[in-house]
Parts: sequence; structure tokens; C-alpha cells
Amino acid sequence: MKTTRRKFLKWSGVGALGAVVFAGCTIPERELLVQSPAQLPEDLVRGLENWYATACGQCGAGEGVIVRVVEGRALKIEGNPDHPLSRGKSTVQCQAALQALYNPTRINGPKRLTGARGSGQYEDITWDEALSEVTAALQGQATGSVVVLTDPIRGTLGMVAEKFATASGGQHWGYEALETATLHAAIKQTFNTDRLPDFDIEHSDYILSFGADFLSSWLSPVRYGRGYGEFRQGGKVRGTLVQVESRFSMTAANADHWVFVHPGREGEVALSIAYVLLSDHAGQVNAAAANALTGGQGPAALAAFAPEAVAERSGVSAEMLREMAKGLAEHPNAVVLGGGSAGATTNGLFNLNAVYALNHLIGSVGRAGGVKHNPGSPVAGLPANAKVGTFADWQDLTGKMQGGQIKVALVRSANPVYGLPSSLGFRDALNNVGKIVSFSSFMDETTIMADLILPDNSFLEAWGDDIPEAGPGHEAITFQQPVVRPMLSTKAFGDSLLDVANRLGGNVKATLPWGTMKEALQATARQLQALNRGSVQSANFQAFWNTVLQRGGWWDVNAKGAAPGGPLPKLPTEAVEPVFAGDAGGDSYFLVPFASNALGDGKGANLPWLQASPDPVTTVVWQTWVEINRKKAMEEWGIKEGDEIEIAGPGGTIRALAYLHPGVSPDVVCVPMGQGHTHYGDFEIGPDLERFKNNVGLDRGGNVFAAVTGAKVEGSGALAWAGSRVTIRKTGNWVRVPKLEGPVFADFAMVEEYLPIVKPDDSKA
Amino acid sequence: MPKAVSRLLIASMIGVVVLGVIAYFVGSAWFGLPVGAQAPDQPIAYPHTVHAGSVDSGGMGIDCTFCHRNVDKGPAATIPSVQQCMFCHANITGKGSTSPTAETEIAKLRDASAQGLPVNWLRVHRLPDHVQFVHDIHINFLSGRPDKIVNSTPVVGADGRVNAAQVCSTCHGQVATMTKVKQVRALKMGDCVDCHRENNAPTDCAVCHY
Repeated sequence: MKTTRRKFLKWSGVGALGAVVFAGCTIPERELLVQSPAQLPEDLVRGLENWYATACGQCGAGEGVIVRVVEGRALKIEGNPDHPLSRGKSTVQCQAALQALYNPTRINGPKRLTGARGSGQYEDITWDEALSEVTAALQGQATGSVVVLTDPIRGTLGMVAEKFATASGGQHWGYEALETATLHAAIKQTFNTDRLPDFDIEHSDYILSFGADFLSSWLSPVRYGRGYGEFRQGGKVRGTLVQVESRFSMTAANADHWVFVHPGREGEVALSIAYVLLSDHAGQVNAAAANALTGGQGPAALAAFAPEAVAERSGVSAEMLREMAKGLAEHPNAVVLGGGSAGATTNGLFNLNAVYALNHLIGSVGRAGGVKHNPGSPVAGLPANAKVGTFADWQDLTGKMQGGQIKVALVRSANPVYGLPSSLGFRDALNNVGKIVSFSSFMDETTIMADLILPDNSFLEAWGDDIPEAGPGHEAITFQQPVVRPMLSTKAFGDSLLDVANRLGGNVKATLPWGTMKEALQATARQLQALNRGSVQSANFQAFWNTVLQRGGWWDVNAKGAAPGGPLPKLPTEAVEPVFAGDAGGDSYFLVPFASNALGDGKGANLPWLQASPDPVTTVVWQTWVEINRKKAMEEWGIKEGDEIEIAGPGGTIRALAYLHPGVSPDVVCVPMGQGHTHYGDFEIGPDLERFKNNVGLDRGGNVFAAVTGAKVEGSGALAWAGSRVTIRKTGNWVRVPKLEGPVFADFAMVEEYLPIVKPDDSKA
Repeated sequence: MPKAVSRLLIASMIGVVVLGVIAYFVGSAWFGLPVGAQAPDQPIAYPHTVHAGSVDSGGMGIDCTFCHRNVDKGPAATIPSVQQCMFCHANITGKGSTSPTAETEIAKLRDASAQGLPVNWLRVHRLPDHVQFVHDIHINFLSGRPDKIVNSTPVVGADGRVNAAQVCSTCHGQVATMTKVKQVRALKMGDCVDCHRENNAPTDCAVCHY
């Protein structure tokens, strides 16, 4: 090719053009801006950060966090390195709590309903008007006509709410979607204590867990996640974890053995292990405990739970049962724990009682690596246990509301309209309540039923404290202080209550002599100061107060919990069968709902960071999925990943996207909790068939609580959320499942061998 | 001409162009003046001469640190807030000033304050993102070593120290004589390392690049 003059000029032109374009690449102007802020306190040094210690209010476990604040703006939440529970660690929920502070859908200023109840039409009013209206509503109410419904709160705020409710002639209830009542009852019956114990997994060498997904969502994942690291790598012996669960949870994925068990059969498995312990390992078992638990009869008392008998019903092979017993016997620092779905079938209390009783047999109570009891509250009058209601209580309350007995309902950080099974009719019953006042920051399903909204501060803007549940094995109170000034026109719930108490006067004012929560908290602090022990001691109150706030709380590592003693409960000789609601025909499946790692029971659904946080096992984000046995789905049902599945349960019908999972039993489907909100800010809009069909993606799937039965756990009254059977059907729609893992399934031929799933021929359910 | 040779010619011309571009960038970085040297036009034509200029030359003689308050406290000297400007300009509107533009410029400031808006200045002294410079250490060091201060004649106190405001001109030049702020010192790495070497300050990479 000849280089002609023309070509030469062309190439030069191109070169020159390129040079000019490149030279246009200067620093963008916005990087060169430096700002004079409109207003600035004279003593504020800009660009420097301050870290404030406070308590995390997102997940409700009362862990300590530190918050990075720059120029009056909270920028980052980390775990408090000093705090005995968190020790510097935090979970995804704590980290994302910043978005609850800056969320654009936060309710700004008090509102009064102008339209029909549930219409969402509100007008702005002043704080004075709002508080006067609440006062007027409460004045002269008969006893039993006022209900204060909050999240499970302990400490000073719990005390204030409780006193307020009682003095107004009403009741205070703590609502939690995942009820801990069964766990509390089991702990009470097995260990004779009201406080949940701590499990010293750091020093354990063998953990046998029944249904407790402690690395992801059970009790305090921060504390157990941290402890787990020590458990595996901290000591000379690498601990062994065996997870007995109906679902391949994150904890099961981390376990050395995941033992699939049929829903509701955990108790039988535990008793079978007890039987083997008593027959084959009598030397390693605590003789006194064995005697008390079996009524002196030894293994014969548990003859009904011989491994061969239990294997078929439970889905756990006799060999594995014997192996688990051997593991417990041979490891000197073994511990057994249980919770989650194991306690959420109708025989949940039977299950958990059996599970925790194993600790007595192996002598793990009060020793290293075992069950550590928690002491009560360090301050008299300060509740260490939140007052929580069970499903039985909600049924009772619904009846009262329906009958028009409840004249005033104050609701804060509780969303029972979302979390209670629709068969209960809670939402309809709310229509018969005289006045509903909500203190919520967000317009959720319960808040939209309110007549008055007095929006609460974010926990980053409010004073408070919390006695962590479950505690670290010794006395501890986490202190919560505001790290930023309130961004919007909001008022802390405690301050609102105290203000109303002041206006009501009389008995209510007399029992709540403080003007603000800060005053009430300082009163608590004075009582702690008077103890003259623990991590902070000072004769000067100001010094004490400042130091407690600086460290994030007060604790006393020497004030440990003691074993309360008392007679051990006798083990049952017969199994309590789980009763499952819903179709028991051949085409039905056990529904195992589970708490989402990020969304919890649904509280985190309005925070995009949590929505975008992938599920640890399936990596699915922003959607509800249903885990279906992969082999069966592909071979028998013709379901592929992304097929929209309609799940028909005893409580209702929901939709979810199919996720094929090799670790799901062929007769079980697992659905996460947390999505399917009909109201919760812009990021959560409920099922809308048209949108779903068009793949617009605003539909986040179903609320699994809407599908479950309204059955109760025998003996505790809690909701048996794992006690439903469902039928499934393809709707014909398909949506690509939003997940972080790639689309190609890691299909290694030996999946079946690595994850043996025993399918019993028939189920007694 | 043979195909191979003409191909070579095309390739080498492309190579020349590419080299030219690279040379342009490297040359301008090495020899060229920084962006601030061009005394950019600011949104409000704020004259340091009037405010910080010496009383002899008709200014008010305000100390540097009166406005740039954090120069001895933190990494950034910080620009004063609009609130601070309004200490005086709440009353001083520039009406009747000898300068023809004073009133219009001050009106811009007063408007911003009335609306609660910030003022976005164009940065004159800018270091690249991979460099971290902290003012306070340098100010505090030079305050105690008045002999090291350049670009001005500091007034040394009885204890041998100077106040922070006298140190500024070492790197920023005589800002009090500038109507529009201009960068006068190169502030390139060689400049910094030279001064560090002379004063036995650490020259470890991680001191500034972290």
C-alpha cells in the first residue's frame, strides 16, 4: 500500500484530533470545589471524626456499637470493641441501620388521619396538638381499655412503657414476629431460670445444635459469629459442629455434619440420643442428672426412643443417632442448644425441653464450653426480660379489640398486621379500636391503620439503654446515646410517653417523675454508680456518667449468673407428635419458613442495603424465593429456577420464585421471611400480579406469615410458624432469580452422596 | 513502495502519535504549572488585599488564622463558613466603597447567607489524591523554627516562636497582596522532600502516601 500525500494528511488529522480529545481530559470542575458551609459552630474542626458508643437498635439484641460522626453526620456503624457481646464485631443489620436514619421515606412530623382508617390520608399537625390529643384520648379510660404495643424492650424504656401502661389502666405487650416464648419456657422448665443462658461456644469442642441458626439469625449472631471463630481456630482442639435442622441453613452449611430431620421430630432425636448416652456411654454421663431425668429407671425409661424406632419417623439414621451420642460422650466440653424451627412446631416445647435436657446429662451446665447462666437485672425495677406476648395473647387481644373493649392502642416498632397469620383477623379487629396512635418512623402495614402518628427518633438520635438478651454470662447494660441531633421533626418514644404522663397528671405522672428519657436514664445510672463495682466506678456522678457513655455501657464480669438449682424435670416417656395444618395428601410439603439473614423477620425490608445483601446460602437478593429439592423439581415437576410458584398454605396463598437446591428434602419447601410488605416505604410494595407479569421487579414476593396456620405451640402459646403443610403449583410465569452466584449450577455427580437425604416412606403427620 | 515498508511506516506514524500524546502529558506534568497557578475566577471576587492586607497598604490586617481556623488543629486549613463572613458583612454592604464591584460581590454573599446556601469556591491549591498533607504538623513545626520561614519576614515573639499566621506564606506566598489567589510555589514532591531533608523530617514513603 502506498502512502500517498492524502493518506499522510488523513493520518495526521486523526492523530491531531486524538491529541485534542486527550488534552480535553482535565480534572472535572467539581473535584476542584471547596465549600464554605452556610453555618458552622466556631469550635468545630472540620474533617475530623468522632466515634460515639451507643446501643444498636436495629436487631434488638442490645449489642454495643460505635458510630463515626463527622461534622454532625453519622457516617459508619461498627461494633464496640469494649462491649462484652460484640467485642468490635457487627452484623449486616447493624451496619445497614444507618439507612434507617437517612431513609427518605421517614415520616416527618406528627400526623392526623383525615380520611378513612387505612386510607393513608394524613394532615400535618404540631407536636403540641398531637401530644394533647393522645392525652385527651387516655384521660378517664376504664381499666383494661388501653394497650401499649411495642417491640420487646428492656431496660429503662421497658420500665417506662410498662409503668405508663399500668398507670393508665392498661397493659404493655412486646410484639415479636419470631416468638421467643417457647425458648423461654423450655429454659425455664429445664434450668429453672427466667433469663436465657449464654452458650460458651468459644471454649466448646462439640456443638450439637437443633434448628438454631446461630451464625445467621438466632439470638445474637454477632456474639455467636465471633465465638464461632474461636471455637474453630482459637484453641488447641478444633471444635466440631453438628447441625440438626430441617433446612440447609447457613449454620448447617458451616457444620461438620448437617443432619436433616423431619420437621417436628427434633425432640425425638434428642431423646434418642439421650437413650444411647444412657445405655452405651453411662460412664461419661452425669449420674445424678441421669437418675433425676429418668426417675431412677435409667435407659429403660426412654425405651420408646431407641434409635431404630426413631430413625424412620425422624429421617435420621440409627447410625447417625449413635454417632451424635458418641460425639457428646467423647468430647469433654460439649454443649447442646436448640431453637428456631425446632421450637416452632406444635410440639416445639417438647422438642426444646428434650434438647436442653441433654445438657444436664453431659454436665455442661456452668462449666467451660457449656451453658452459662445469666444473672438478673443489676438494677432493681429495671426489667432484664422484655415482656413479650405469645400468639395466645394476640388471640386474646384480637378478641378484645373485636369486642370493642380496647379504646386506645399505642403502637411502637411493632408490625403485627404483617407478622401475624391473616387467619387471626388482627387487621380487621383494629377497626374496632377507639383510637390508634403509632410512634413508627415508617408507614408500614400497622402504621397505616393509625389515627395519629407521632414519629419516633431513630436509635442514633435517642437516649436509652438495654440489658442484652441473651447476655454475656454476667451483668451488663448497654447504654444508648444520641450521636446526632434529630434530623427531622421527630420525638423519642420515651420522651413522648413522659410528656403525655406529665400532661395526664395524677397517678401516671406520679409513677413517671422524669421529664425526659435522659433524666430517667441518669436515674438508672445513679443506681449503677451506687453499686460501686463493675467496669465503671466513680464517686463523682458526672465522671461516672461520662465514662459509661464513653465505653458504651456498664458491666461487671464478676457478677455472673448462678445455676438456680431445683429439681430436674423428668424426661417424657412418649413422644409428642407434631400436628401439621394444611393438606396432608401426597402432593403436599412441609413448609419451613426461616428468618432472613438480612431482613430478619421483615424489619429490615425498607433498607436497600439489606435488600441487596445476599442470602448466605443461596445468594438471592431483593426477592422471595422457595427452596425446592433440585432433583425432584427437575425430574418430576418440571420446575426450573425462576418459575413463579404459588404456595397454598392453611393461612393463605403466596408466590415465590423457585430456587432449586440440592440440600432440601423432597418433602420440604423453605421460604424466607421478610418480603411481601404492602406498605413499608418505596422499596417494598406488595404482590401485584400485573407488575410481576411485566417483570418490572417491584414485586418482592410473598409474606410467608400470610401462608402459615394460626396454630400454637403446646405449652407455651407461641405461634407454631413451622407447623404448616402446603401445596405448590407453577403459575406459568418466569422471572430470572436475582442472585449473586452465577447461572450455571455446580452440578457435580456426587451431590447425592455428599448430602444424603433420607426420605421416610410415610409420614405420621 | 513494498507492502512491508509501508506497513512499517503506518505503524511508526501511529507510534509517533502515541508517543506524542504521552510526551505531552509527562511534559506538562513535569514542567507545567499547576491548575492553581492560573488564579481562577471565584464565584465571589473575594480580595485578600482588602481583608488580610497590611494596614499600611490599605487593608484591614486580619490574621490568616482568623478565618482559616483549623490550620494548626487539623489536616485541612478549612475555609470559613458563610456565617463567619456575615460577622461583618451583615452590616457592611459595600455601599459607598471605592471599589466599583464591592457592592455587587458582597450582595452575592449576603444572598447566599439569607437563603442558607453555601458558597462553592474553586480550589487553588490542590494536591493529587495519592498525597495526604496535614497542615497542623507543618504549622506547629514552623512556628517554632522561624528561620525556616520563607516568602515573608516573620515577627518573632519573646519565646522564639511565631504565631501560625506568619507561617502560611512559606508555601502560599504573599496571599495578602493577591486580589485573586494564585498558587506561586510548585508544591511538587521534590519541593516537599527538599524541605523535609533540610529539616530532618521523615522522608519515608508512607508518611505522605497512605
